[in-house]
Amino acid sequence: MKRNGLRALGLMTCAVVFFSLIGFAVDYDDPAYVIENELIEEISNAAGLALVNEYIADYTAEELVALTATGRTPGIRLAADRALFVINGRELELYGMELDALATLAADGDQDAANMWFFKSRASYKRPELVEEYIATATVGTLERAAGVLLGGFYVPNSPLGAKTEAELVELAKNGESLGLRVAAATALTAIWVADQPLTISQTRAEILAITLVYPELALAYQGYLAYLFSL
Amino acid sequence: MKKALILAGLVFAFSLAALAQGYDAMPADALVFPIGVAGTVYEDMDLGVRGGTLNVSNIEDPRGWNNHTAHETSTTWFTYRMHRGLVNLDHISGAVVVDFAKAYEISDDGLVITFHLREGIKWSDGTPITADDVLFSYNDVVLNEDVDCNSRDGQILPDGTFPLLEKVDDYTVTFTLSTIYRPILNALSFNLMPKHKLAEYVHKLNPDVPAGTFNETWTLDTPLTELVGNGPYIVTDYQVNVSVTMERNPYYYGYDPAGTQLPYYDKVQTTIVANQDVSMLKFRNGEIDVYGLRPEDIPILLPEADAKDYSVMITDLARYGTTWIMINQDIGIPDGTDAEKRELYRNVEFREALAHLLDKDTMVQNVLNGLGTAQWGPVSVPSPFYAGRDVYGGPITENNAVWFEYDPTLAASKLDALGVVDADGDGWRDLPSGAPLTMEMNTNDNTIRIAYCLIMQDDFRAVGLNCNFQVVDFNTLVGQLFGSTGDIIMLGLTGGDEPNSGKNVYSSCGSLHAYRYSACEEPDEVDLRIDELLDLGANTFDLDAAFGYYTEYQQLLAHQLGYVYLCQPTFQYSYYNKVGNAFMASPTSTPAGNNGLLTELCFDKTLL
Repeated sequence: MKRNGLRALGLMTCAVVFFSLIGFAVDYDDPAYVIENELIEEISNAAGLALVNEYIADYTAEELVALTATGRTPGIRLAADRALFVINGRELELYGMELDALATLAADGDQDAANMWFFKSRASYKRPELVEEYIATATVGTLERAAGVLLGGFYVPNSPLGAKTEAELVELAKNGESLGLRVAAATALTAIWVADQPLTISQTRAEILAITLVYPELALAYQGYLAYLFSL
Repeated sequence: MKKALILAGLVFAFSLAALAQGYDAMPADALVFPIGVAGTVYEDMDLGVRGGTLNVSNIEDPRGWNNHTAHETSTTWFTYRMHRGLVNLDHISGAVVVDFAKAYEISDDGLVITFHLREGIKWSDGTPITADDVLFSYNDVVLNEDVDCNSRDGQILPDGTFPLLEKVDDYTVTFTLSTIYRPILNALSFNLMPKHKLAEYVHKLNPDVPAGTFNETWTLDTPLTELVGNGPYIVTDYQVNVSVTMERNPYYYGYDPAGTQLPYYDKVQTTIVANQDVSMLKFRNGEIDVYGLRPEDIPILLPEADAKDYSVMITDLARYGTTWIMINQDIGIPDGTDAEKRELYRNVEFREALAHLLDKDTMVQNVLNGLGTAQWGPVSVPSPFYAGRDVYGGPITENNAVWFEYDPTLAASKLDALGVVDADGDGWRDLPSGAPLTMEMNTNDNTIRIAYCLIMQDDFRAVGLNCNFQVVDFNTLVGQLFGSTGDIIMLGLTGGDEPNSGKNVYSSCGSLHAYRYSACEEPDEVDLRIDELLDLGANTFDLDAAFGYYTEYQQLLAHQLGYVYLCQPTFQYSYYNKVGNAFMASPTSTPAGNNGLLTELCFDKTLL
């Protein structure tokens, strides 16, 4: 009897642990789970973007440096990188740099420096055509991507200049002739979906899984939207 | 146990101290803003709750805390929140409304304005505010030549005298005018200062202190506990180059209709920033709650607005000011030349032809990136006297507008009718005599103005007018303006709510009547009527009557085409959606604007 009781208790414990694990394993709505377990880059990154504030609160600068290098998933590395960006006051540091210095960093692959170059230069790019012209002749990938983000701000439907429809943006994100144009479309699409919330987390995951290797910039748009859903 | 009792006693004592601050109940003479009341300009606003901190930014440190000797907005940004006057401009409509005065009346002859003060109201230190404080603020500070006061010039009446302020009783004062002049009401919004704190620093009241001592009073070295005001906030902490903290004045007299004392926010925390870019970065990071954005900020802010839960207001409300071209009707007078050209420029039909060549839609789209609006008259659109309204302070309908639509064909036919045709076949129109007509258009080195001029030059040339655009330095341009040289000048003017403030520009003898200075000696019927309307509008306290006069004035000027108006940038603003009533931001007032008016009506929605 005692043995049977112990056996029953053991079985019950196993069952609880098993079902807990199942419950835990399928908690795709929880960015804390996703960031640890998801290997699809856009989905993992979405969780990472949603958890930046938690990383700032939970880790030391040294730990974050380590995570950016050795984090197990793309999302962990991204969350740690963005947390370090905030903790180190990198934004104001970049803002204090001259344009030439930012361009040099951008040419070496520093996306934050490229973004700041465009932030500081934006008064020279007040119209979408000007940004499109820049993208057409861009030679530095980070700067082209930064230009795309700025251009995306003109493409959103409520923009006073350059607004595009969702259908136009989807087409541009898929088949735009340059990286900058596709990033622009992705930026605007994320904004549209955040406003309209057309898909659930699981539906967005499904969309990403369907296109991640085919249309990377469209997947990027879903990544931004998924990050927003994770943060709610 | 003993510790617990001591702690409880301390908590009780602090609670009593807190209760002792402010009024026991809403004062009978409180200033109640009709928030949410149908039929008022406040009807769309929401009642708020007290608490929280409004985080804003300001460029540059304040240079002191003395409202009347401050010369820069980095200081008045704070002092305007610490002090209020007898009257003020309405937060929303811009109309003159009562503030510390609960009412005012004007004598039948229009020469005496009697103000009835709110009774039972106190300074932030608990001292009652009386007529003596009003007399001190006006007679001993504003009008005191020993005080380096900005607002004194605004008190001068048309005959060069100042209003005479006298005390009737503790809660009644009168201003006696030598001549009827309604715009003086705006000037009587001068901020009140506490006599009990400051009289000792005024030489005329205390000969023991040297002349000018008041100018060195309430400096940055003054302990902040010395600052006393009657406005919604008082400065309580200042960290050089870092921040200024303002906390609610417990004795402020503004309330909402539910009986909640204003301001709603407990604190306004102002971060000092190096420039507007840094403000924007802080806004995007959620460190400040509101941000007065620029057109180039929009593509960055728009895509992330919903995700970060902020709003980007893109409105069609024109900002204060005017932008125009001036066709010099006195050309050649200084050196006795260009008689035929002068005759042509003085012909309103010719100026109408040029007006039909102004492609304002293209200017708005290509120069202002869609964030602008066409102008037709001399008064700023936000003014309650703007003739695009049907009544004083009413909504903008543009029923009274005088437009000259962009129509190159019509312009060409008007030029043909004037005999301004290509007489010699060189492709350019000539003067009626057949002499060549060339026009130079000038502006200074300003990218927006240059872009406007290039558009106009193209359109002028397209109908055969030989117009050549040249950028000149600003001093040269001003020299042309005042010297009646040059053909066409493109510039702009700042604007305000009171049309009479444009008297120096639009009256026939005005110092900036640059399109035809000779009108002072040889006014035509329209010039004389404009002069008359400017005076009529200022010499009545009947706002509806003044609106009627000023409407005719604006339409006459628009038809006269002395200054021919172009476009004005529109108002944009951004705010986190947690800031209640921030959506009421307008060119008149914003939650973090210089005049501080809307700040007290905003609240933290997360506390609801």
